[in-house]
Amino acid sequence: MAEPTDSELIADALAGRSQAFSALLDRHYMTIYRIAFKWSGNREDAEDIAQEVCVKLASILSSFDGRSAFTSWLYSVTLNAVRDHQRRNKRCQAKADAYSMVVENAAPADQEMATTLGQMWQAVKDLPARQRDAVLLTSAENLTHGEAALVMGCKESTVSWYLHEARKALKDLLGDGAGAHGDG
Amino acid sequence: MVDDKFDSLKSIDPPPPSVGAKEIAIAAAMAAYEQEFKKNQKTVQGSEGAGRLMSIFNILNGSWIMKHRAIVGAVAVCAIAAPFVITQLSRDRTGAEIGTGKTDTGASTSGTPELKKDRETDATAPTGSDKSASGKSNSGDTSSAVVPPVTTGKPKRLVLPTSEAEMADESRIAAGLKSSAGGRRHARFQSSGRLRSFRHPVATAPGYTAPGDVIVRREDRDRFSKFDDNPQKLVKEEPVSTFSVDVDTASYAFVRRMLNQGTLPPKNAVRVEELVNYFTYDYPAAEDKARPFKPTVAVYPSPWNKETKLLHIGIKGVEVPVEARKPANLVFLLDVSGSMNSPDKLPLLKSAFSLLVSKLGSEDTVSIVTYAGRAGTALEPTKASDKAKILAALDGLTSGGSTAGAAGIRQAYALAQQSFVRDGVNRVILATDGDFNVGISDPEKLKEYIAEKRKTGIFLSVLGFGQGNLNDSLMQTLAQNGNGNAAYIDSLKEARKVLVQQAGGTLFTIAKDVKIQVEFNPAVVAEYRLVGYETRALKRQDFNNDKVDAGDIGSGHTVTAIYEITPVGSKARLFDDLRYGKKIETGAGTGTETGKADEIAFLKMRYKLPNEDTSKLIERPVTLSDATDRFDDLSADIRFAAAVAGFGQKLRGSNSIGEFGYSEVLKIARAARGKDEEGYRAEFIGLAGMAESLAAARSAATKSGND
Repeated sequence: MAEPTDSELIADALAGRSQAFSALLDRHYMTIYRIAFKWSGNREDAEDIAQEVCVKLASILSSFDGRSAFTSWLYSVTLNAVRDHQRRNKRCQAKADAYSMVVENAAPADQEMATTLGQMWQAVKDLPARQRDAVLLTSAENLTHGEAALVMGCKESTVSWYLHEARKALKDLLGDGAGAHGDG
Repeated sequence: MVDDKFDSLKSIDPPPPSVGAKEIAIAAAMAAYEQEFKKNQKTVQGSEGAGRLMSIFNILNGSWIMKHRAIVGAVAVCAIAAPFVITQLSRDRTGAEIGTGKTDTGASTSGTPELKKDRETDATAPTGSDKSASGKSNSGDTSSAVVPPVTTGKPKRLVLPTSEAEMADESRIAAGLKSSAGGRRHARFQSSGRLRSFRHPVATAPGYTAPGDVIVRREDRDRFSKFDDNPQKLVKEEPVSTFSVDVDTASYAFVRRMLNQGTLPPKNAVRVEELVNYFTYDYPAAEDKARPFKPTVAVYPSPWNKETKLLHIGIKGVEVPVEARKPANLVFLLDVSGSMNSPDKLPLLKSAFSLLVSKLGSEDTVSIVTYAGRAGTALEPTKASDKAKILAALDGLTSGGSTAGAAGIRQAYALAQQSFVRDGVNRVILATDGDFNVGISDPEKLKEYIAEKRKTGIFLSVLGFGQGNLNDSLMQTLAQNGNGNAAYIDSLKEARKVLVQQAGGTLFTIAKDVKIQVEFNPAVVAEYRLVGYETRALKRQDFNNDKVDAGDIGSGHTVTAIYEITPVGSKARLFDDLRYGKKIETGAGTGTETGKADEIAFLKMRYKLPNEDTSKLIERPVTLSDATDRFDDLSADIRFAAAVAGFGQKLRGSNSIGEFGYSEVLKIARAARGKDEEGYRAEFIGLAGMAESLAAARSAATKSGND
């Protein structure tokens, strides 16, 4: 028996069949969680955000118009939730935590790599929201500029512009690592 | 290589969520889903009581209060105006729920199962926790405190009682809007709760029963300049059309408010271009970074006339990233006269400006001057790094007293001068409900004064609040003279749109005196008509005259202009050929002779960079290759703009759009919602539906011969 498609599940969910809605969530929870983790940098926040997104979907599912893929719409919804979440707990505590989380959870083979990645990741997360989104969508999530533009609701060239700005801002970190006298 | 470093981010490997996290999330979502679904099933009940209340209000309002306004004063105004806010807020929620909720914050997204299960308690209890958590900065949280969790409020049903069948029809509209039809009594109950949670105590008028659906119709003192639709022009006689851009959106907000109150707006309140320009369209920006914008052009079949086409001109101002902009020096010039003492005025104003302050960078400066009532400097120029001080000053404002004179405006400009930022943004933001008693009483003198200050680099924006006393035309004129814009703030959501989301555009001008001139090719186009922009027409010779002032474009602003053009040979031509004149050549004519047979028109735009006095020219031909044969092939943005243009003309009772009606508007708009993250387009669809039922009710009433 063929699996129902996303659009079928959505249609059924909107028609009031709750199993369809729960199947849809079951299918996409990990995607939402993954995005939330990459943006927030720690598991607890990611779980919170993922839950918020799930709850939110109950009320906004009907506004999904099917013009883009459900997953790219999910990106937008999740990124919004991330933004809301971060607005709520704007506490500097996040920084230290996130950094340690990287080392602990990302666990790449060698420690030095973890540190570089950790620094990079942290620096990217500290960028202005739009730049951060552009970088993470294209790098961490491996989307094309076009797909990222769709998610961010802007033009492809704007995505490139944000990336450009992000590179400029992170020049020191991104360079050979040599002349790191500048202060981030 | 730099990209490689970013690529390292690919190796982020999220650890699995903790045990049960997924299950809990899904369970919470299912609870919300049940709630949502049940809500949609509920039928509407309990409108009788409110109906009676309404009539009482009408009596009070129509025949008594307005005439004795001076005596009754602030208290009465407050009592009447309160329902506006409530209705408005519940509307706003509708909008918020529809969008994918980029700006949805706080309560609406906090998704713990307990909260969701207990929506009603949540609604009625003052959402104090939210506020205290937000502390001194009440940026996003104010809105969440005000936003109710559930919405209804369909005022129109009360004003114009409709049959059961029509009610069902409306529910369908409501369902399309996804605003749940959870009973009215329920909604009203929540309204009062919401009121209490509103940050400012003014809202709790004593003994006030929150008749959330009461409509107060006021044929009041709102003043709008009268204007007629642009006439059809014959290309042979007048091939050139010139106008100034307009990025104002005040008209849309006003129209929305009227419709939400269950009244069709007066014709003169509807400026079609402001309706169209209320929405953001994703037109491409100029590739050349030195240019602030470039025109996007499309020619396509008119949705309201098979025989004509629309020429669509769109521009989008380059977006200046917040980080890149110069510091801003802002002076708030605030009306605190007695008439501001109603929940949709001063309290809303405070919240609105708090939102703005929260968006400022630490190098920006804010000063506050009040006028009318208690006049004077409420806050000396203060760096936005000291947000707490600014917010405290805002919070401390009270209204009251007579509107007796005050030298408010001079003081405001003096402060602006005092902390003037070279090459930066220097702007006075005037907020009022219509009392322009700012110290210069002669409107002409006031205009001159503002225009003169503009030359020194200090611009003016005007924000209108409330209803009943709004001096729309003066607002427009003043803002135009001050290189600014006028916006009408009817809700916190609108405040957020104008002051926060579009802060770039509202405050950061990227091009000034932007003029558009279109010359039509008589070999291709027989007749044309500019849709909207009636109040923005310029003389042909003004185009090249840099002394003539025109509209400005801010960072990220989009401007759209639409011409309806009648091709040569079309059956829709309104003008007959002249018996004694030269015959109109069809196809092969002047165009081929000059080798421009495929040109429909020629577009020219002039603008000045913010700090320059000499204009620059952008020009391009509009050719047959810009034309599209099928309306449905167009981008959603263009189709949506066309729907809004049709809607505005319909509201104005234009006879140029034939049988085109609200249902056609709805059809196009529904199919052209696009991403609509903020829900503005969905809200528009709701308004069009409302206008449709109001118009139907009105024509029924006219037929039966009363009202």
